[in-house]
This record gives sequence, structure tokens and C-alpha cells, in this order.
Amino acid sequence: MWSINRFPIAWLLPALLPVAFITIYPIAHALWTSLHQVMILFPVEPFVGLDNYKRVVTSDYFLDALRNSLLFTAIAAPSVVILGVAIALFLQRRFFGSQVIRSIVLLPWVLPGAISAVLWVWVFHPSFGVLNGLLLNLGLIDESIPWLTSPKLALYAVVVAHVWTQIPFAVVLVMAALASINSEVLEAGEIDCRSPYKRFRHIVFPEIKAMVVVLLVYNALTAFTSYDLVYAMTGGGPGTATTLLSFQIWRESFSMYDFGAGSAVAFIVVLISAVLIIAITRALPSDLFAKEEAS
Amino acid sequence: MKRRHNPILTFLFAGLILLFTGGPVVLSLIGSVVPDRILLNSDAGLFDEGINFETYRYVFTGELPAAYLTEGANRAMISDAARQVPRSLWNSTVVAFAAMVLNLLLGAPAAFLFARYAFPGKKISFLFLILSPLVPTVALVTPIYMSLQAVGLVGTQLGIILVHTAKALPFTVLILSVFFRKMPAELFEAAMLDHCSRFQAFTRIAVPLALPSIGATGLFAFMLSYSEYMFSMVLSGDAETRPVSVVMAALARNTDVSWSLLNTGIFIAIVPTLLLVALIWRFAVEDLLGGSVKG
Repeated sequence: MWSINRFPIAWLLPALLPVAFITIYPIAHALWTSLHQVMILFPVEPFVGLDNYKRVVTSDYFLDALRNSLLFTAIAAPSVVILGVAIALFLQRRFFGSQVIRSIVLLPWVLPGAISAVLWVWVFHPSFGVLNGLLLNLGLIDESIPWLTSPKLALYAVVVAHVWTQIPFAVVLVMAALASINSEVLEAGEIDCRSPYKRFRHIVFPEIKAMVVVLLVYNALTAFTSYDLVYAMTGGGPGTATTLLSFQIWRESFSMYDFGAGSAVAFIVVLISAVLIIAITRALPSDLFAKEEAS
Repeated sequence: MKRRHNPILTFLFAGLILLFTGGPVVLSLIGSVVPDRILLNSDAGLFDEGINFETYRYVFTGELPAAYLTEGANRAMISDAARQVPRSLWNSTVVAFAAMVLNLLLGAPAAFLFARYAFPGKKISFLFLILSPLVPTVALVTPIYMSLQAVGLVGTQLGIILVHTAKALPFTVLILSVFFRKMPAELFEAAMLDHCSRFQAFTRIAVPLALPSIGATGLFAFMLSYSEYMFSMVLSGDAETRPVSVVMAALARNTDVSWSLLNTGIFIAIVPTLLLVALIWRFAVEDLLGGSVKG
């Protein structure tokens, strides 16, 4: 490793500048907009202080949306990580057709969110969805279950679709972490430890813990800010049953053209995300950042 | 490591994974070749009328399926959006390819420096790159939309390309720096002895040797752009330049549209994706798994 005495602007700026353009500047802009009354139709943008926040927080949808978002995150993120680890562990095995399965697991990853949403609408459709058809034919239920139009079930249906779209990334990262475990450690574990569960708990898991934490943080954030599945599957309904905070940013800004309120919701989402990141990294202590520095 | 597994359990689990990740895709293939009246009629067997490719013919040539030419047929079920699918696939490919090339051009030099040199400000700029993807996308949409509108890039492919490039850059730099770090240091020491400049060491040694890995990383950037929905939707303009994720969402939100036509659209959109999956697995993932990637 050689050292350079001053910051190498010419090498780094091409990469840093675009990233700064879509992070630092928009955050500052969102903060400014959220404190002003910004509507497309009105040319003046008066300073209104915290009025936008007050209006957003006291609106009918806010508490519902907040609860939905938190529930969505609390179910989706752990599910993705647990299923991802399970599938990654399983795909370590070599068997007839294992290569095919390894490829098919990636499929949801490369499908645009909108297509995934359509596929899952097709599965969950109340009157001619495949799931209902299957359950009816098996005689498990007597009449169709309105998965997407029942206020109680719609959110869970969207969670399933969301988990489906996020699994491949988790599988790939966990497999990468598993592949980097020293094989001598595994062989020693094979001899010392008969039970596969204990082997996972004491030998494999500590090695992939950092990756699991990264995944959990990443997935909590994707879940908390996910919006396209809701938009394409339920449009936030029925009622406010699947209205997520992140969906509300879009609705305020681009459906009602109230950019001030939209930015206020956006800023609330940023703040809650920051709290989520800190909470998760605190709750699961790990040498995460030391490792990322090293990579 | 050789371990014996129960083959029945292995195949059972493999089957479950296949069903969950691949199931919805198979459903859309079936849905696209079976006419609506069969799909929506629970009494009829799925393949009672055989399979037909009329909807595929409509999408590519505009020739209406026979069922919709009869007296009293509901013409609203045929949506023009389906005919935009092939065109939108091309649009998406152009955008994703441009984003990929830009990513490599802007990201590779930075990744090289992060991997091989120590310099003041390294830690903070690297942390900035790692943490920037954690800012929720929804919070960025409004400010980016407004600033791109100010410079007249809303409704153009260039706007989408720029945003996608910036969104993928942190990942590109991170992955590429892992690859550059894995290269033997002796190579670069030899280059120093031969009085190679830093730029020459980069273009003559690092880039040619890491070419497969660079290709793999490019594929990641391509994929991120290809499946991105939110910015594509907000920034895209008229039907001619719309990317596939936007067209599919429009098709899916249209509740009148014929199921088999919708599924045809999905399946046509999936085919290039299937190709991508194969490529990504072959180059990117096996490459990542082969090396010792940690954290």
C-alpha cells in the first residue's frame, strides 16, 4: 500500500460527485422544502416553519401509515434474512440440478418491481388467483379468500411479495460470506461437533454474523422505504390498510402536488431510518465497520 | 467437504425453493398462452382449448386476437400499453447499458485508489460511499425531480441514466475495490520499478487483469438500472422513451386489461431477464463466491 500526500481529487471526484448529487443535495433540499409551502401551481414559496410537519402528523393517514410501515418492516426484514440464510446454507450442498436452482433463486432479483407485483397479484387475486384456486381444489377453504382486498390480509400479501423480491440479494451475500469461511475451521467443527444445529450455532454463525447484521440493516431500510409493490399491487388500499409512509411521500408530492408536505414525510422517513440503523446495529453488536474498512 | 444428506429431504427442500422463487414466473407463462375465458372459468380445465400465441402476435404485429374481433367483445381489455413492451425493453437496455458504462468509467479509478493507496480523507470518503445507499430512495425523488426539471432533463433518457449511474456507483466502487485488492502486490511493485505512473499502473496493469471482474461489476450496475422503478417512473416521458418497469406498472394498474395479454407482456419482459440471470450467475456471482469476499 503506497501513500499519497494529498487528497486525489482527479481520481475520486468522478465517483464522489454524482453520489453527493443524489444524497447530500437532495437531503438539504428536502429539509428546505419541508419548511416552506411549495405547490406547483403557486409561484411564491413562503416560509411556513413546521406547519407542513404539523399538517402531515395530524392527518388521518399518518398513524395508520406509520404503523403499517413499522409492521411491514418488522415482518419483512427478519423473514428475508432468515429465509436467505436457510436457502444459502442449503445451496452449499451439491446435488443433481443444484446449479439450476442456484440460477433460479436469482430470478426475482432481476425482475423490475412492477413485474414482480403483477406476478403476485396473479397469485393473490381474490376471484381467480392461483392461491385461492389451489386452496379450493384441495378443499382447505370453502370460499375464496380476498387476499388483496381484505384490510386484514392485504398488508401480509404485500409482505410476501416483498420478501420474494429481496431474497436473492440476501442469498448471494450469505453465500459469499459462507464461501469465505476457512475450510479448516469447518473440518475441525465436523470432528468436534456432531449436531448440525450446534455446528451452525457455534461455528458457522459467528463467521457470517457481520454479513447478517449488514443484511438486516439493509433489509429494514428497503422494507421501510419500499413503495413500488404497494403502488402496483394495492395502490395503498383497501382504505389505508397498505398505505406505507414511503408511499405517502409519492402521493403527497406527485398525486396532490404538495411538495412541502411530501418533503416533510420524506424527512420523517429519513429520521426514522436513521434511528432504525442505529437501533439494529446497537442491538446486534458486531465488528461491522472495522470489517468494511478492511475490505 | 463431503457429507451425506438425505436425498429425499434435499429434493423436497429444493422443490420448495423452486416453487417459491420460480412459481410465479411459470404461472405467467401458462397465463400467456391460455385465453381469458379459460383462465377465468373455474370449471374449465386449464388446457381444454389448447395453447395459442395470439396475444404474442398482437404485441409484436398489432393484429388483434380473434376473440376480440367478434360482436360485442370488450375492446377495453386490449391495452396499447402491451404493445409498448418490446420498445420499452429496448429503452431499458439502452438506459441500463449507458448507466453501466458510466459506472465503470467513473467508479473504476476511485476503486483502484481505495484498494491500493493510502491518502488523507480516505476513511471519510469511503464511509460516505458505504453509507450513501442507506438514504431512502423515496426521500430523494422530489428534490432530484425538481432539480432535474430545472435543467430540463425530466422526460429524457439522459436524466434517468444520470440518476441510475449515481445510484449504482457506491456498489460499483465497493465491489471493484474488493477485486483490485485481490490482485498480487508484486505486479504493482514491478510497475513502480519500471517507472510506471499511477495512471499507467491503472490502465496497463490493473484494468486489463481485472477485466472479467470489471465485467461482472458492470453487470450488477446494469441490473440495478434495469429493475429500478421509482426514478424511471417519475423521470420518464412519453411512450417512446419509457423503460420496461414503467410500462409494466401501467399495464398492471389497468384493471380492465386481459389477463392473458398482461401475462404475455410479463413473459416477453422476462425473457431478456432470464438471459441476464444466466449471465450474472455465470460471471458475477460465481466470481464473487470464488474469491474470498468478506464483510
